[in-house]
Amino acid sequence: MAKSYDAIVVGGGHNGLVNAAYLARAGRRVLVLERRPIVGGAAVTEEVFPGYKFSMFSYVVSLLRPEIIRELDLPGHGLHILPLESTLTPMLNGDYLAAWADHDETRRELYRHSPRDADAYDVYGRLMHHMAQAVKPILAMVPPDPTSLSPRDLAGLLRLGRHMRGLEASHFHALYKLMTMSSADYLDEWFETDVLKATKAASGIIGTFLGPRSPGTAYVLLHHYMGELDGVFRAWGFAKGGTGSVSEAIAGAARRLGAEIRVDAPVARVLVRGGRVTGVALESGEEIRARAVVSGLDPRRTFLELVEPGLLPDDLVGDIRRFKFRGSSGKVNLALDGLPEFTCLPGHGAHLRGAVSISPSLEWVERAYDDAKYGEFSRRPYMDIVIPSLIDPGMAPPGRHVMSIFVQYAPFALNGGWTDQRREAFGDAVIDTVAQFAPNLPSLIRHRQVLTPADIERITGLSEGNIFQGELGLHQLFMLRPAASWARYRTPIRGYYQCGAGTHPGGGIMGASGRLAALEMLKDGA
Amino acid sequence: MSYDAIVIGAGVNGLVTAHYLARAGRRVVVLERAVAPDEAPDAGWVPPAVIKELKLTAHGVRVERPNPWIVAALPDGGRLELFADPARSADAIRRLSSADAARWPEFAARMGRLAAVLEDLYAAPPPDVRSRDPGELLRLAGLALRTRRLGKRTVVDLLRVLPMSVAELLDDWFETDALKGVLAAAGVLHLQQGPRSGGTAFSLLHHHVGSPPGVFRSPRSNLGAVLARLPGVEIRRGAEVARIDVAAGRVRGVTLATGEELVAPIVASSADPRRTVLGMLDAGWLDPEQVAALRHVKCRGVVARVSLACEGVDAGELAVAPSMEYLERAYDDAKYRRVSARPYVEGSLRNGVMDAHVQYTPYRLADGAWDAERRRALGESVMRTLGEHVPELRGKAVVREVLTPLDLEGRYGVTEGHLYHGELTLDQILFMRPVPGWSRYRTSIGGLYLCGAGTHPGGAIAGGPGRNAARVMLQEMPR
Repeated sequence: MAKSYDAIVVGGGHNGLVNAAYLARAGRRVLVLERRPIVGGAAVTEEVFPGYKFSMFSYVVSLLRPEIIRELDLPGHGLHILPLESTLTPMLNGDYLAAWADHDETRRELYRHSPRDADAYDVYGRLMHHMAQAVKPILAMVPPDPTSLSPRDLAGLLRLGRHMRGLEASHFHALYKLMTMSSADYLDEWFETDVLKATKAASGIIGTFLGPRSPGTAYVLLHHYMGELDGVFRAWGFAKGGTGSVSEAIAGAARRLGAEIRVDAPVARVLVRGGRVTGVALESGEEIRARAVVSGLDPRRTFLELVEPGLLPDDLVGDIRRFKFRGSSGKVNLALDGLPEFTCLPGHGAHLRGAVSISPSLEWVERAYDDAKYGEFSRRPYMDIVIPSLIDPGMAPPGRHVMSIFVQYAPFALNGGWTDQRREAFGDAVIDTVAQFAPNLPSLIRHRQVLTPADIERITGLSEGNIFQGELGLHQLFMLRPAASWARYRTPIRGYYQCGAGTHPGGGIMGASGRLAALEMLKDGA
Repeated sequence: MSYDAIVIGAGVNGLVTAHYLARAGRRVVVLERAVAPDEAPDAGWVPPAVIKELKLTAHGVRVERPNPWIVAALPDGGRLELFADPARSADAIRRLSSADAARWPEFAARMGRLAAVLEDLYAAPPPDVRSRDPGELLRLAGLALRTRRLGKRTVVDLLRVLPMSVAELLDDWFETDALKGVLAAAGVLHLQQGPRSGGTAFSLLHHHVGSPPGVFRSPRSNLGAVLARLPGVEIRRGAEVARIDVAAGRVRGVTLATGEELVAPIVASSADPRRTVLGMLDAGWLDPEQVAALRHVKCRGVVARVSLACEGVDAGELAVAPSMEYLERAYDDAKYRRVSARPYVEGSLRNGVMDAHVQYTPYRLADGAWDAERRRALGESVMRTLGEHVPELRGKAVVREVLTPLDLEGRYGVTEGHLYHGELTLDQILFMRPVPGWSRYRTSIGGLYLCGAGTHPGGAIAGGPGRNAARVMLQEMPR
């Protein structure tokens, strides 16, 4: 046994790295242990096919907290966000709906579909901006324990109450609606253009096992809206070099601040003696001592796998067992010989530099969910497509391209289970569906990588392949994430902490969980 | 003719409001559109305060709790009967799953504690979480404290369970499809939602309020009939209100369809909020945003009533909801505005007669309108469904009447035939019911109140909204 550390971070995903960086910044001796040969977790860039680089899983950066970018000087460590500004939705009738970087242009486009919606869009945008601002302070809050009568928790509840009461009445009610409604019902109150509602509603289903008509999705819609807000730094886009460069930048910052990072170092379990953490044991058998251990893994792994059974209270174990993962999304990464041609908007114009959303109608997205509800992948899925090589030519050989297709729904619990054959059938459904709108796509495909939730779990370790480390349902948010009384990044084992997206405020490349956990650990004198 | 107050609608809530006002010495007239009183028993829990304060026991009010409270048809032709006594229910469940039987008593107890919190909330106007009034803050604190006193687990359960889907909740507890099916049905009653939709766990609890632990259906009563006989209030039947008259921002009275005008400083409408505002009021008196909010109140009718005769059969509280997937698939049809190919059917089958609740039957259909042919098809579908699940009804049931949501709208005057006057979804309860700012029974027009199921605490609480509304009105009425 060589060295001892102040803290060991289990898992080198972006939250683990952020956590390590903040602990190191406060002068702690920190070691990050990553199972894979590269850091980043689900935020990695890999050269899947020679010459073709992919943001394998997570592919856009929208929510990364500006304070983290600032405090860790991520631009100084190579973070460069390229804007991803437009969204094109091809329609079934051959028309399209586009949203452009230029507000007036978007308005003109909307006007073409519905003058009423064009007007409503501005009001809606303003309200969502207010909503995002209303939620922002909550994202930065350590959730209070609703069952505790300690002064600290009561003060936390009071602070939350004051914040809510500080909102204008109409904003409070709008926020309450967003928290409880389905995105389709919410959008129905605003707009009449189906394709507009479908495209907006689609952002409300990402990472959930819910359809646009399921209550709870309006909140996810808001969750995704928050990235578009911070004016200081435009944090909605594509990281140069792929999403992995976000992780690399954070890792670089952490190393610069003194943290050690070991890859190929899978942790088998957390060592506990007398209710206190003493370190970790690697799968290799090596044991490393530390005064604190923080897990960046999801709640199931953090509580049920890393910790020996019997060390945690039954209530907590029950809550974690019931915590919903239900991975529902897949990813198809394509190496292309050229650019696809969308029938609705031919040519290789600006629209290919943005996102293409396959959400032609609410019913399309809802029916995609119906398939998944009963254990099948969507025959005609919702998809979010980007071609990063158009924005960042370094991602593919000259003249060639890479295409990233985020696909929903692909249920983790597929009827009969995922097999190689089923994976390829899923890949075929994806390509066939895109080809419905861009017929030349199949002829351009040089290589294809299909990732199901089972693959996502196998490669990244995310339970059931859930990209958010657990669904963002109302009953799994804030003081209930991952379980009541244990939402403050601590655990019943002294010195053992959690810092993954399975804690408040949750998923997306946000880093907030990692940072808040580090600040709490420092408060405890870790 | 002049009155202290006019109440629109002689349903249970309208009558309760009227009698509370009359009891306080006010001259009240109730205006009812229908000519004949509705003979059907009233479904819904009657808050004991209503019975006590209006001294209804002496007037012969009877609250009937069938036992077993549900008879679930099993796929093999058998039955699962659940009783008021959790131990007896557990015995019945044990035949299907000993694990589920073992969990039943704790489930009943835990849900009972949560429903008790709702019961507390339902006995008064919805809490005003944004209030700065010391009295209201004290009430909120009291509520929080009483809830906390029910134990740490209850607080956690409450936060966790209310926004959940009833499917997630029941999957946490049980494995038997038939058990989960009949429980989940209470989570989707009168909702354009399926058991996998968030907020349906709340709906299960809502329908549990006031019932003994382990009973997840509302009782029936003769409340409406008793209130209609109770002296003190004038009820005019066949008196359809065409317009609520307003002058200078205050209510003046109402004008009937016949042109007759009635004057009163107070008008309380137990009609649904959308109908009251969009159908009886000149929108010019209201803020356009308020009108828009009312227009957005979701009251998507999804329930039909089908009355059947099955000679010689006495089956009790029969339910065809064999699994949560069955309900979810029934809902899938409704999502796309189609009648469920295999509907959820429930009703009391006694003395060869059954008045069945049939869900989902959308008010608006994707491919046309409700007509005689579709009504006939719905009736047949119900008979087929019952025949498939209840062998002794096979070939015996005869359809007597089919009331689609459209028919219910016509008969009772409720928007889209939604008998709860607005879906009980999380965004339409408490201070959001019917719309923010109007949740305390007052409207933005002086002297105009709402007192029907469209207000807190909503449908299936017989007289709850009416009582709360009357108490608010009495505080504000000049003597």
